[in-house]
Amino acid sequence: MIELDVSLPLSRFPLRVQAALPSDTVAVLGPSGSGKTSLLETIAGLRPRAAGRVAIRGEAVMDTARGLRPPPERRRIGYVPQDSLLFPHLDVEENVRFGMARGAATRLFDEAVRILEIEPLLRQYPATLSGGERQRVALARALATEPRLLLLDEPLAGVDAALRGRILPYLLRIRESLAIPFLYVTHNAGEARAVAESALVLRRGAVVHAGAPEESIAAPSRDDPEARFDNVLAGMLSAGEPGAAGVFVVHGQRFAVPAERAGAPGPALYAVAPDDVLVSTRPLAGVSARNVLRGRVRSVEEAGGTAWIRIGAGGFDWTARLTRGALEELGLTPGLDVWLAVKTHAFRRLR
Amino acid sequence: MTAQPDLSIFLLTLRVAALATLFILPLGVAAAWYLARLGGPWRTALETLLSLPLVLPPTAVGLLLLELLRRNGALGRLLDRAGIEVLFTWKAVVLATAVMSFPLLVRPARTAFEEIDPRLLAMGRSLGGRPFTVFRRVALPLSWRGVAAGTLLAFSRALGEFGATIMIAGNIPGRTQTMALAIFQRTHIGEDAAALRLVAITVVVAFAVVGASEVLGRRRERRFAA
Repeated sequence: MIELDVSLPLSRFPLRVQAALPSDTVAVLGPSGSGKTSLLETIAGLRPRAAGRVAIRGEAVMDTARGLRPPPERRRIGYVPQDSLLFPHLDVEENVRFGMARGAATRLFDEAVRILEIEPLLRQYPATLSGGERQRVALARALATEPRLLLLDEPLAGVDAALRGRILPYLLRIRESLAIPFLYVTHNAGEARAVAESALVLRRGAVVHAGAPEESIAAPSRDDPEARFDNVLAGMLSAGEPGAAGVFVVHGQRFAVPAERAGAPGPALYAVAPDDVLVSTRPLAGVSARNVLRGRVRSVEEAGGTAWIRIGAGGFDWTARLTRGALEELGLTPGLDVWLAVKTHAFRRLR
Repeated sequence: MTAQPDLSIFLLTLRVAALATLFILPLGVAAAWYLARLGGPWRTALETLLSLPLVLPPTAVGLLLLELLRRNGALGRLLDRAGIEVLFTWKAVVLATAVMSFPLLVRPARTAFEEIDPRLLAMGRSLGGRPFTVFRRVALPLSWRGVAAGTLLAFSRALGEFGATIMIAGNIPGRTQTMALAIFQRTHIGEDAAALRLVAITVVVAFAVVGASEVLGRRRERRFAA
């Protein structure tokens, strides 16, 4: 449970966020410049002009009406900013150890290094790291301080940005093994859905949606041209035959995935872009796509010239993006039975 | 002629300049840090005040110090009560050179502090560091070249201070006579060759110190470069 009731004057508009989020894992969505970073900095205590109350699991982090306004060093909040802000004069290990109290358990350090897989980077300096590596080191550095809340501000990843640099798989691991509450700023509503139980959507400093991330997909997209809605699937990868496609199993449903990344069997995470999900109102036959599923339309939302279709199929809620024309031609409405087709190479491995 | 040997003049100068630099180092770094983080009209006012020794005639600064330190001056009375004699002793030389060198230390240090991304300092706080810890573990390591360059500059200025020194310390051989004062005195009594020997020493020392300061100020640590 994360309670937010804060205000902060900004140059373009005032930030005014009031939301009681029922879960400990929150995705923060919204277009660039909607106040997401300012919200995180307010919670971290880096905005002296901010006022209001923030509570995590009922424990107040700040409550200015009651005179509770602790400096950042006493908040125990792990902040991972967009640009990572690693200390350039320290190597990775020194960066991660920066916030650890002297004599703190080495377990904290070891755990952070293990979860973020930064062991091979420990002797390097930040200038030599890739963007994704920097984010991982910054997240490890935050984790090593044993924070009561993590704040993650993921940089906007272009459409072509390397998926493997994404922080999402590591965030899932943190959720699984450490259960630290977090606020995760992302432009990818699909990732938000995969990792967070609540979503907070901001627009011009105000809350336009607070609640379950699947309730609305159009809300974050309406004015965020960078918004993405990848279908993120977590499952098990079994070793395929050499040269053939890999087999990825989610909730008993088998998917054919590209062989080249399928070398290591075990838990895996794949993303499928909503543009790569084909929708048909008739049973599909004679298509080259290897993955065909039967499902039912759950919701249809329109934003601009685009239609977002939510389809339940194979135990998963898929998001497909269609043009408005295609939507009308197919006559898709909630409750309608449909067939989905996804090409093998539309599955991109995240972990 | 009871002229002091060159070496003892040189050593006295070195000792006095080193003491003056050590004395202003913590003060100057603190002032630079404070100025770098201060905004508004106060900053301009403070900066102007701190820079005055650079532009005032050194003798004017010396006279002001003299007024302060006179037995019935503002500071002089306190020092007198404590039994500390400053005027016309080596302590006066240290004080005069310290005051005159102070701005030269503050400016490069301040610039170096200003170049640090303030968000990096905020990050240090967020990770649990108290302000002084962040200063020690983030700000200083990132700006030590600027601080060192300023320190060397101040030291070289201290080596050659003349005007303020002669006003409050006089020109007493063996006690308050530094290189600059000795050159003046030797020239005054017509011992130009002896004065030139001292000049040669000062040129060599100044060249080394200012050169080192330049190198420090210019070169950036390579591993930081992306």
